[in-house]
This record gives sequence, structure tokens and C-alpha cells, in this order.
Amino acid sequence: MSRVGAIFWLGMAMTACVVMFMINYAVQSLQGDLDKVRKQTVAEQLEIRVLHAEWSYLTQPERLAALNKQFLSLTPVATKQLQGNIAEIPMRPIAEPPAEAIASAAPAPAPAAGLELPAAAGQSRLDALFAQASGQAQPVATLRATPVALTAPASQGPGIDALFAQVASER
Amino acid sequence: MLSIQRPDENPCRPRHFKPPPCAPIVTDTEASARIETCRTRMLVAGVLFIAIFAIVGIRLAQITLISGAAAEPHIARAKPALPPPERSDIVDRNGALLATTLDSPNLYADPRQIIDAKAATKALLTVLPELDANKVYADLTSDKKFVYLKQRLTPQQHYDVNRLGIPGLMFEQGWRRYYPFGSLAAHVVGYTDSDNKGRVGVEHGENALLDEHQGSLQLSLDARVQFVLRDELSKVVDQFNAKGAAGIIMDVHTGEVIAMVSLPDFDPNHPGAANENVPPGQVNQAIFNKVTLGDYELGSVFKIFNTAMALDSGTATMTSQFDARNDIHIGRFTISDYHGKHRMLSVPEIFMYSSNLGSARMAVAAGTWRQQDFLARLGILEKPNGFQLDEIANPHYPHGKAWSEISTMTIAYGHGIAVSPLECVTGVAAIVNGGIWHPATLLKVPADVQPPGQRVISPKTSEEMRKLMRLVVEFGTAKFAAAPGYVVGGKTGTAEKNKHGHYEETTLVSTFIGAFPMTDPRYVILALVDEPHGDKQTHGYATAGWTVAPATSRIISRIAPLLGIAPVDESSPAVTQALQVDSLAGKRIEDY
Repeated sequence: MSRVGAIFWLGMAMTACVVMFMINYAVQSLQGDLDKVRKQTVAEQLEIRVLHAEWSYLTQPERLAALNKQFLSLTPVATKQLQGNIAEIPMRPIAEPPAEAIASAAPAPAPAAGLELPAAAGQSRLDALFAQASGQAQPVATLRATPVALTAPASQGPGIDALFAQVASER
Repeated sequence: MLSIQRPDENPCRPRHFKPPPCAPIVTDTEASARIETCRTRMLVAGVLFIAIFAIVGIRLAQITLISGAAAEPHIARAKPALPPPERSDIVDRNGALLATTLDSPNLYADPRQIIDAKAATKALLTVLPELDANKVYADLTSDKKFVYLKQRLTPQQHYDVNRLGIPGLMFEQGWRRYYPFGSLAAHVVGYTDSDNKGRVGVEHGENALLDEHQGSLQLSLDARVQFVLRDELSKVVDQFNAKGAAGIIMDVHTGEVIAMVSLPDFDPNHPGAANENVPPGQVNQAIFNKVTLGDYELGSVFKIFNTAMALDSGTATMTSQFDARNDIHIGRFTISDYHGKHRMLSVPEIFMYSSNLGSARMAVAAGTWRQQDFLARLGILEKPNGFQLDEIANPHYPHGKAWSEISTMTIAYGHGIAVSPLECVTGVAAIVNGGIWHPATLLKVPADVQPPGQRVISPKTSEEMRKLMRLVVEFGTAKFAAAPGYVVGGKTGTAEKNKHGHYEETTLVSTFIGAFPMTDPRYVILALVDEPHGDKQTHGYATAGWTVAPATSRIISRIAPLLGIAPVDESSPAVTQALQVDSLAGKRIEDY
């Protein structure tokens, strides 16, 4: 009985030994891999530093100005090209259709049923306004060179909301 | 009961009681005692080993199967730690790299390991042509064990030499500073010597901080604005054949220096080149920072301080009149006006026409001690404390009793006192921003931090000064400085240089200080040109109105979009009413 027990425990000991060495070698090789990767990372980080310096050199204002002169010939933005914000764009003049044109003119295209200005994300209200405006082929007074006395609806203030309301009232 | 009598009694057959021993028992107590102790010891040892293996087994099971949390500290250690660079990077306010540290190994040789010195020398010279062939050969055949061949190789040179594969050539770890933007911010950033110690600029002023390498040092400089300023000032120097120029742009609300240029300048990557061709005993003009080290008698620009003092102290108001009819003679000095009007002038007119006589009389009316106190409050009389550059000059002015009445008069229009452009701009910023003086700084001030400041003039005085400075650009000496849409205001100053005690008419220092937009100033800009000479375009004039004022207009037009300032309609009622000088309303204003 003790012989069986002895053989059993001996077997267990040998198995433990074998497993232990297997694990040991596996860990050693992993350690080697880790060291290699660490060295590579350090080298990459050093290279990133060099590339950062090179990028700064290549994008320095003087070099960009020279490249501009050679290839693009862009000039600095003129003050008259910078005009405030969108609220300063004058409103569209309201068309005043002549009285006899109402009977003889082609029937104004009915606005498509259910055409509402989409409040979908990704399409700005201005784009929607332009899209809708191009769908209406109405006799619009062309924008004259001289500023037009705009007959804005009394209840509206200036701004995009007013333009909105103006277009809506033209339907 | 009949007992069963077995015939052959086996005395050894098993019985239910312990039979008497067959053989005589010999009790060896010693041996058995020893066996007993041996057995006990083996038992103890066995138990011990079992216990140890049990602990190991349980721990193993615990770590691998049950909880991986205990392993985390080991994972953290596995992160590769690239040591931080030996010296911090310097970046501008938008993150553009102004100075960085790059590996730059030193090439050395062990002559004992060199196989063929001649071939090695030849090969080396193909890669490093600037080396002296004879010296290299001598080094490679010498008896030394260690000899430097070249210090501070570039990464490309390092690669090329390595590729040669010559045994005996080795590299030593080293590093050097590299400045990607070249000479753009040369005086601000400075350069380092071969020991990697800063010599001028922020490299020198913040040397200790940079060596601590705690992240990168963020300056208040904006590289784009710096480029525009340098570009335009270079054009001025070229056009007017000047000795040099200086410029500085400052944020009035924080005291941050957005741009600082001094011409001529140098390339910090090759500072040695700037040091050649300098006659011994002379200051190296390229490395000399005119903005901080240069002391100039700035001339009429000082009328800003004079007028502010008079208005703030109440000794003059916007409607006060002062006598500018006749020249003032004191002793052997004569004070007169350039393009004099020869009549009584009101305070706005004195400022607009830059009248020396009017300013002198304003100063005398206020008194010497008021003038001294005011200039001291604005930081004009001492060099700034704690500025990031070490190379700053002390202002020059008469001390004690020497600040006489004549000094008071001349200082009113900017002669008899020499200050650096940096101090001047800091003072003007305080005057236009509502009256709070902020110390100048080269480090970026975070948006949520309130920079230190103290009140020096009242908001009302600041508003009046803004109106006066706008007058100068609208009708006065600085018409060319008007960048359309940006409501520029300012003051010109053309001063003759004081050489050996007397003023020379042909050597001028022309300055323009401007602020924009004048309705609510954000930035103040100073442009100074040293010894300009008029050309045909300016009809021979080299005054500030003809030289630096047009350049300032171009600078403002170029940088305002970068700084987020939108142009406005200067003729709109909002702007004109905000800046209208009531005493001049409706009057026809004479040309300067």
C-alpha cells in the first residue's frame, strides 16, 4: 500500500517539476518579448520627438510664406473681405407683383404638401431656406444695386428669424 | 462441555489474545528511542513541507484563478518609461515648438581597435566632410585610448557614420537644443552653448526651470504674430536703410507679450556665426535685444504719459488751454515746436499736433513731484522685476536734485529720460486698458487666471486718453497708421539721438505706439526704427509718421484676423460717438 502511495507521490512530484519548468520557460520568453517591445517603444518615442521637431521646422511661418510665394500666390485677407457675421447680411427684398399679373401668370406652383423646413440635423436652416427658395419660381424683384427699402413685416425684428418668417409668408 | 483438544497445538496460530512472544524479547531502548525521534522528525519535516506546498498551491490558485487584481501593480511596472528629455521644450501660446531637445551623440574612437586608419579616415570624410583629414588620421593612429572625433552629430550624420561599419568608432550619448523656427523668436528664446546652458533669452532667464524638465514651458508669444512683426520690421529696415528696429505687441488686459522682435537678429541654431565679424570691445548688435536692453530717448511718445498725468491729477482738463505761441528759453536751452502753430492750444490739440511747448507747460503746471510720482507708478523709472529675460536695462533719468524744472519740461516730451521699449509699452498698456497696470510677462497666462495688477489712473482718464490717441491717427501725425476697420489710435515720436552730449539731427529714433481697437483696446503695439534715412517715397522724411506708422498699419491689418478682432465700420455712429472729443466737436481741424 505504501508502495502505491510512494509511486503516486513521486509521480506527482515529477509532474510538478515538469510543469514548473515549462511555466518558467514560457515566462522567460515572454520577458524577452516584453523587453524587445519596450525597447521598440522607447525608440519610437524618440523618433516621435525628432519628427515633432521636423514638423515644426517644415511648418514654420517663413517657410510657408516662401512656399506660398512660389506656388499659391495667396495675398493676405483684405479688410473688405471680412465682414462681421451672418446677421449683417441684408434681408431679401419682398417682391410686389403687379396687379394684372395675378390672373395671367402661370399658376404659382403650390408648395409641396408637407414641405416643411426640415429640422434635420446636418442641414442648416439657411440651406433649407435656399432649397425652398429655389423651388419657388415666383416673380421676384431682382436685387438692385442700390439698397432697397425693405418692407419688413412690422412684427419681426432683423435677423434669420425674420427671413424665415418672410419666406413662410410668401407661400 | 467438552473442550476441543486439538492434538497439534500450534503455538503461533492467531489467537484472540496476544500470545506470549515466541522468541525472547530483547528490548534495545536506545535504538528504539532513536528510531522514534527519527520518525518524529520525519513526520515534522513532512508536515512542514506539506504546509509550505499547501500555502504555495493556495496562493497560486488565488492569484491565477480567483483574483487578478493583485497582479495590477506588476502590470503598471511593465509600462515603458522613456525618460523625460533632459531639458524642457519651449512652446508658444498655441503649442508651436520653439525649442526642443534632440539626441546628438558624440563620435569617438578607440585607436587600439582601428584596423586600417587610412581607409577609416577616407570613409569618415565622405560622411563628415568638414573634418580635417590630417587631424583625423593622427587621432586614429595615436596612442590614446579615447579620442573625440566630432561632437554633437545630427541624426542623419549618426546614421551615416553607423552605416560605415568601421570598428573602433563609437558613439557617446549626448543631446543638444534645436530651434525649429530659426531666427524667428531668436531674442525671446535665446540659445544655449555647447554645455547646454542657456546664454540669452528665456533659455538663460529660466535656465533652472528648464533643467527641471517638468513638462514644456509655454510662452505667451504667438509665432504667427511674431512672424508678421518681424517681416514688416525687416521691410522697414530695408526700405529706410536703418541700423535696426525693435517691435513689441502686448495684450493690454494681461500684460502678455504676444510678439517681440529686435533687428538685426541671429539664428540660435548657429549662434557662433553671429559672434564672428564683431570688432573687439563692441557689442554684438545681432544678439543685443533692443526691446529690453536698448535705452532710447523716445521723444514725443512720452506725451502720452505727460497728458495722462495732467488729466488724471486734475491740473488740466480736455478744454484747458496752454501757451504754445513762443519758444521757451531757459539758460542755453531752447524748446520749440516742430511745425509749430504759434497760438494757444487746447490739450487735445497739443496732443494731436505733438506740441513740445504745450507739453512742457502742462508738466510745469502739474509739478515735478507729480511727474516723478506718475512715472514711478507706471513702472517707467525702474526695470521690471521678475521678467523672464535677464537682459534688461535700467532706465536713465536725472536723480535727486538733478531733476530740475528744465528736466521736467524736457521729460514732458520725452527727452532727458531714456527707457527701454518694454517699459514704455507696459505703461501705455495701463493707460489704454482702463487704468490697471499689469507687469509684462513672457509666460502664457491661462484664461481663467486673473493676472496681478494695480490701478494707476482712473477709468475716465483712460477714456480721455483713448480719444486723444485716436485723434492723432485720424487727424494728426500718424495718419498712415490707420488700418481701416480696426480703429487704431496711437502716438508718434521722432527723437534725435543724443551722441556725446549733443543731439544729432541726422540720427533719429522713430517710434510709433498704437493700440487697437480704440473703442475697447485689446493689444498695444510699439514699432521703433533706429537711424532711418528718408527715401524718395517719403520725400526725404524719416519721421515716425512716414516710416513706422505705415508699417504698423500693415501689421495690424495682418494680425487682427489672427487675433480674432473683426473690422468695424469706423464711420458708424457707435464708433465716432464713443471716441468723439467734445471740445473739438463741429470744429474744423487743421492739418498737422
